[in-house]
Amino acid sequence: MSLLFRSRQQGAKQVKISGFRRFVMFWVHNVQQAVASLGELARYPMASLMTMAVLGLSLTLPATLYVVVKNTEAIGADWQHASEITLFLRKNLSQQEVSTFHKRLSLSNDIERVRWIDKNEALQEFREESGFGEALDALSNNPLPDVLLVTPVANKRGTAQAQQLAQQMRNEREVEQVRLDLDWLQRLEALLNLVRDGLLALAALLCIAVVLIVGNTIRLNINSKRDEIMVMKLVGATDGYIQRPFLYTGVWYGFVGGLIAWLATAVMILWISGAVTDISELYESQFSLVGLTFNEMLVLWLLAIGLGLLGSYIAVRKHVRTIEPQ
Amino acid sequence: MIKFEQVSKTYPGGFQALNNVSFHLERGEMAFLTGHSGAGKSTLLKLISMMERPTAGRVLINGHDLKRINARQIPYARRDIGMIFQDHRLLMDKTVLDNVALPLLIEGYSMQEARKRVQASLEKVGLGDKLRHYPMMLSGGEQQRVGIARAVVNKPPLLLADEPTGNLDPKLSMEIIRLFEEFNRVGVSVLIATHDLGLIARLRYRTLTLRDGRMINDGLQES
Repeated sequence: MSLLFRSRQQGAKQVKISGFRRFVMFWVHNVQQAVASLGELARYPMASLMTMAVLGLSLTLPATLYVVVKNTEAIGADWQHASEITLFLRKNLSQQEVSTFHKRLSLSNDIERVRWIDKNEALQEFREESGFGEALDALSNNPLPDVLLVTPVANKRGTAQAQQLAQQMRNEREVEQVRLDLDWLQRLEALLNLVRDGLLALAALLCIAVVLIVGNTIRLNINSKRDEIMVMKLVGATDGYIQRPFLYTGVWYGFVGGLIAWLATAVMILWISGAVTDISELYESQFSLVGLTFNEMLVLWLLAIGLGLLGSYIAVRKHVRTIEPQ
Repeated sequence: MIKFEQVSKTYPGGFQALNNVSFHLERGEMAFLTGHSGAGKSTLLKLISMMERPTAGRVLINGHDLKRINARQIPYARRDIGMIFQDHRLLMDKTVLDNVALPLLIEGYSMQEARKRVQASLEKVGLGDKLRHYPMMLSGGEQQRVGIARAVVNKPPLLLADEPTGNLDPKLSMEIIRLFEEFNRVGVSVLIATHDLGLIARLRYRTLTLRDGRMINDGLQES
């Protein structure tokens, strides 16, 4: 590898290391440097832990929000499947016409089942249950329309598909009015979108903050080792060799920071799950908050490590090169 | 081995540290570089070790123009040059073993392989039993010898020393110079910058003299 003395590497007593050995040693050195970086961090446990905690807690907020959004989405998805289209038919239709229309709808591929609420039966029911019987007798004809309750097939129950189906119904000659109880669902969805977008923006901001914090910590680290870096440069260390321990420090920040984020997210979810249980009890529903899955935890961890690495990379790229031996 | 061809160095701000310096140090030669403080000794050494670049002229090592060595290659080129400093530049929080092994680890040795060479190198400077010590626990002369052991551990063909005896008494200084002579005997080219004229006078080596950035005597013209 000698640049100035090409014959040097062939000298019997000189450096004789095979390529394979160099490759193996490269990885061995990496592991050694990783462990050494960890040891270095352990020498100043409070300072290291504080940086790690900042990293971890910064990621806790978006992680917790993510869990909340995920659970709300799950509820929304459950309710979405219950969508039902109510058709109010024209009053001037004969019994025969309604029956035909009912049959025609039942045959449609998009519709699973149609329930017909006959206007006479409905009137009867209303008369019995409402207590307005005598008032109704005063009317000359039945004010209620025939009603068809249409349940779409499973794959037509999504918001968009159900809406499309409702639009089709609206165009039918027999139909006076169509009601699709999707408005609140759409509102929920819009709200979720808002929270999701906000979550993304928040997560992005916090990630940038994490990168800056790690970068700054590593920069201070580099400056405190100025003399050592100079000596290493004097005896022929490449920038890559000098940078590696700092990069590993960043990785360790992310590694431990990710664990802290897990822990803090779990505590946060435990904290709010009490309130969630209270709410679901009020609504008489069985609902419990689902925490982070294994994959999501892995993603969170890798994200933390990646951010730690990125922060330290930016710092070493900028600062190791500028330190030159005097 | 080292060849300067009309080399000038002007620092930003206009201070001219070297002015049209030319000399040639042969392979296997040992020489002193002397002059008053600020005469340009350190600058000359920095040009060889590529800590500075010349403003004009060429510096060649073993026939290679240092201008052709780019920033990425400098670390590799420096591995061929053993450097010794007045303040020895040891890492105070590392043991003697770790300090001396540093150039080897950088080159990709394992610690076990490095240890043998470190041991041999420290034996040579008479500190074979100080492997586990920290530099703080050693005397000034011993620290300087650790610095020398580090400089020679990967057997570079060229040794540069900047005031290696600056902080030492005459007896210790002579011991250090004897060490350099030993390395020189096995073919290493040695250039020692010093203003210790008494030391130079006692030894009969070629002496390059700088004054205000000019080479007033390259040790070849007379005697």
